Amino acid sequence: MGLPRDWKGFMGRLLSADLSEGSFAGQELDLKVVRLLLGGKGLGAYLLYSRLKPGVDPLSPGNMLLFLTGPLTGTIAPGSNRFCVVTKSPHTGTFLDAHCGGAFGPSIKYAGYDGTVIQGRAEEPCMLVVDGGGPRLMPAGDLWGMTTMACQAKLDRLLGPGYGKVVIGPAGERLSTIAGIFSGTRAAGRGGSGAVMGSKNLKAVCIKGSSRAIEVADPAEMRKACWTAHRMIRMNETTVRSMPVEGTCNILETVNEAGALPTRNFQAGRFEGAEALSGSRWREEMWVRDAACFGCSIGCSKISLVREGRFKGESTEGPDYETVWAFGPQCGNSDKSLIVHLEKLCDDYGIDTISAGNIVGFVMEMYERGMIRPEEIGGTKPSWGSPEAMVRMVEAMGSMDELGSRLSRGVRRLSEEHPGSSGFAMHAKGLELPAYAPRASKGMALAYATSDRGGCHLRGYPAMQELLGMRGGADPLETKGKAQLVIDSQDEIAVVDSCDICLFGTFGFTLREVYRMVNAATGYDFESAADLKMLGERIFNLTRLFNAREGFHRKDDTLPRRCLEEPMPSGPAKGHVVELDSMLNEYYSIRGWDENGSPTKPRIRRLGLDAMLGEAP
Amino acid sequence: MSGPGKEIRLSRIIDPSDARAVVIAADHGYMLGPIKGVIDLGRTIASVTEGGADGILVSPGQAAKIGYLFRGKDRPAMLVRADWTNAFRSKTYTLPSRHVQHRYMTSPRQAMALGADAIVIYFFVGYADDQEEAQHVSRVARYARECEEIGLPLIVEPIPLGERITGANYNELVGISIRMSAEIGADAIKAPYTNDVEMYRDVVRSAGIPILILGGAKSKTLRDALEVVEEALESGARGTVFGRNVVQAPDPGAMVRSICQVVHGRKSAREVTRPVAEGKMKLRVSRPRDCTGCHICEIACSAAHGAGYGLESARLFVRPSRDGFRPVVCTQCLKCVEACQRRALAVDSKLGCVVLDASKCNGCGDCAEACPVDVVRMDQGRPLFCDLCGGIPECEEWCPREVLASVRR
Repeated sequence: MGLPRDWKGFMGRLLSADLSEGSFAGQELDLKVVRLLLGGKGLGAYLLYSRLKPGVDPLSPGNMLLFLTGPLTGTIAPGSNRFCVVTKSPHTGTFLDAHCGGAFGPSIKYAGYDGTVIQGRAEEPCMLVVDGGGPRLMPAGDLWGMTTMACQAKLDRLLGPGYGKVVIGPAGERLSTIAGIFSGTRAAGRGGSGAVMGSKNLKAVCIKGSSRAIEVADPAEMRKACWTAHRMIRMNETTVRSMPVEGTCNILETVNEAGALPTRNFQAGRFEGAEALSGSRWREEMWVRDAACFGCSIGCSKISLVREGRFKGESTEGPDYETVWAFGPQCGNSDKSLIVHLEKLCDDYGIDTISAGNIVGFVMEMYERGMIRPEEIGGTKPSWGSPEAMVRMVEAMGSMDELGSRLSRGVRRLSEEHPGSSGFAMHAKGLELPAYAPRASKGMALAYATSDRGGCHLRGYPAMQELLGMRGGADPLETKGKAQLVIDSQDEIAVVDSCDICLFGTFGFTLREVYRMVNAATGYDFESAADLKMLGERIFNLTRLFNAREGFHRKDDTLPRRCLEEPMPSGPAKGHVVELDSMLNEYYSIRGWDENGSPTKPRIRRLGLDAMLGEAP
Repeated sequence: MSGPGKEIRLSRIIDPSDARAVVIAADHGYMLGPIKGVIDLGRTIASVTEGGADGILVSPGQAAKIGYLFRGKDRPAMLVRADWTNAFRSKTYTLPSRHVQHRYMTSPRQAMALGADAIVIYFFVGYADDQEEAQHVSRVARYARECEEIGLPLIVEPIPLGERITGANYNELVGISIRMSAEIGADAIKAPYTNDVEMYRDVVRSAGIPILILGGAKSKTLRDALEVVEEALESGARGTVFGRNVVQAPDPGAMVRSICQVVHGRKSAREVTRPVAEGKMKLRVSRPRDCTGCHICEIACSAAHGAGYGLESARLFVRPSRDGFRPVVCTQCLKCVEACQRRALAVDSKLGCVVLDASKCNGCGDCAEACPVDVVRMDQGRPLFCDLCGGIPECEEWCPREVLASVRR
């Protein structure tokens, strides 16, 4: 397939694979679409909205599985390693985009594509291979059942060096809706994309970048803009000193001090074991080396090695802040080596650590309240911090045995089976909440409630101002002005997610640097950073339209009763609940959505979405 | 500017001979407590004075105690920080600030009595609360009026921060807040540089008064700090007010001298930090343990040689090593030259790198075979050799961990 000409930044085409037919096609990018949405999340939102049948079962052949990059992926922009998985989530039923680092993203582009669009279902386990010999499906019966790490090692032996790879583990094969898609030691973790891949009988996608390079519209300006962005990272306290030294756990103690570190299933906001889990303690006791994703000058990744105790000798890349929280304060545990062991289990089986840990903590609270008996949970006694219970439950979820299949459905479905527990089933739209306590960080509460994939900390991150004090800070217990803060963050992150580059770079540089890099790479004439931000708003409205079409409205922009009605018992946020309604009203008003949370016609028109979609949605 | 008092005092800071200034900020104790570099303030100030600073910014408390260091004809000018804020406070004793607070701490008259040649105050733009914004503006205006009465230059430090600041509006607000400061009555500005020469040119032009750029947190490399200065000067800024980059340097005086070379000496950052080596040179992996496997060196190499961003045309590569990753570079062992049967390879007389005469090459690949580290790639039938990028290797420029170093042979 000849490469389309005149594409800059982008490669100009997608690889379509129909697993039912076993056929492939190259498909040129639609210029009108990418000018309005760029790549990554934006392009994915468009493809899903325009091609996916409303109401489709996410685990049926009718769901699409997209692997997409953006115009900056694979270039010398900071953190240019990202790709995203876009699909309809089997865990929540919403739009899902899950981004991942490592080296797979650049491989896609160096092979001459901006992404792949996978449809249908293969009859037998298979893998998709793309290299100099063209795209093809190969049998993967031998690989089926292998852990993510073992499978990738075997693929290296089978195919030889130089292939970017994504794989699922046994959990995805068995359709766990908390299964993710793994690449190297990194993951597109949340929302169950691993189950979608498993439902298609697809074990792996392996892409070798062969003699293609990315051309940009203005190489001199691209060099200057990227150099500036890299320099800003080198000169920023967080990205040059804090994250490289303490990884993402650099914020743990600060969040704990602010009373926003969810403890024992969000019962409280401060954990007595927080100091033991701080970045500096991890560095002292557990980390042996730094690592970086492709194209990253921060190097926030750490390699852990357990030096003593029951799990001596175990090693993993990580754990990061969310995982430390999920198996730490969320479950009342402060033993770092146990966290390393549990992360390894999750990585090997291929499941999302955030959902897994949140689920374990939920079970622990049910047990504490006498709402669940040991017989119902494989004989374990899940008291807070119990290593046996934690290992048993994570093994169960990973292997998808009878217990695991039940637990993996998530806290929302579990709470339906245990009357009286829905008030503390900590999710939004079915996606388990991550490591920021809503009652102690009201902007994050609003972000969780309005995120397009459910309870997520990376679809709007006002914790940056509220808890970390950046850009002058914001009062975490105040609701005034939070709608605007959340909206600004959601729109900016959507831009970064469509470029597709790593969000952490934006701690060092601003959207203006992103706008310079995008213009230089693509040759498009975005007028300003504000112009680019509107692109982010457009993307966020498009995913909202998708969710609305799937039946999500105001009633779903909500949080568990614990957040809305139970006052925080202690800490800096003592006495607080989340005043969600008033924030939501302000949020819809600024967004130009109606009282039911749907984008109005004037806003759709203003964003150019009606013209692009060719219809009045 | 109104009146000879202000003109004379400002001329002690901004050197009239070249209209530029190198000011050092040593007022951090006010907001951050005893950070490294300001613990023994007297020693730091002595060092900085010796380095040639035009002015030094101190808090009123310190001005009273160490004012004697400013006595004498050849001493730097004294600038006094007249206000306080919690926006930059140390996080080790308290949480990050949630709400920007700003207070008037010492009056212009009091500062002048201490020996100030100028005062410096903050001006924040980005409050969500209109009342607070109004109070802040009126505080700044009060300072401006009193400074006018007594002929003391007012240097305003406008910074966009607060709930209304986003990644998209930050840079624009730098320019807007600078102009607003001038309108209220500032005589000079201490402000961030927005990392874009063209855009900052407009900022400088619209300000109408001298701008000195601030330095922010301690930069990891001298080169970056000086490059920022160089760019800002190119846009029309008149100099710097660097704080931590100087007071936390191992030798503050030497740091000041480097900055003066750029500001007054009009040298480039590269000239001051990395003069282009004359004569033969080679690349060395000087810090292999620090390699994170990011591949930035490879994509920089590929792009620098006109091949776009990719990994197939780099003249070096990163491979996994026993304890992590390691770049593999041409060591100029010249085994490739020996192996070439067609005399297509030679050694460059200036730099010492291997050079290909494509007209004599038949693509046999003997050179690649002979390379003991496997760094010679074939690209469309021709071998690729490291050419040291004409003397400033791109891989070394871009490496975020300073793993590669070019050395004279």
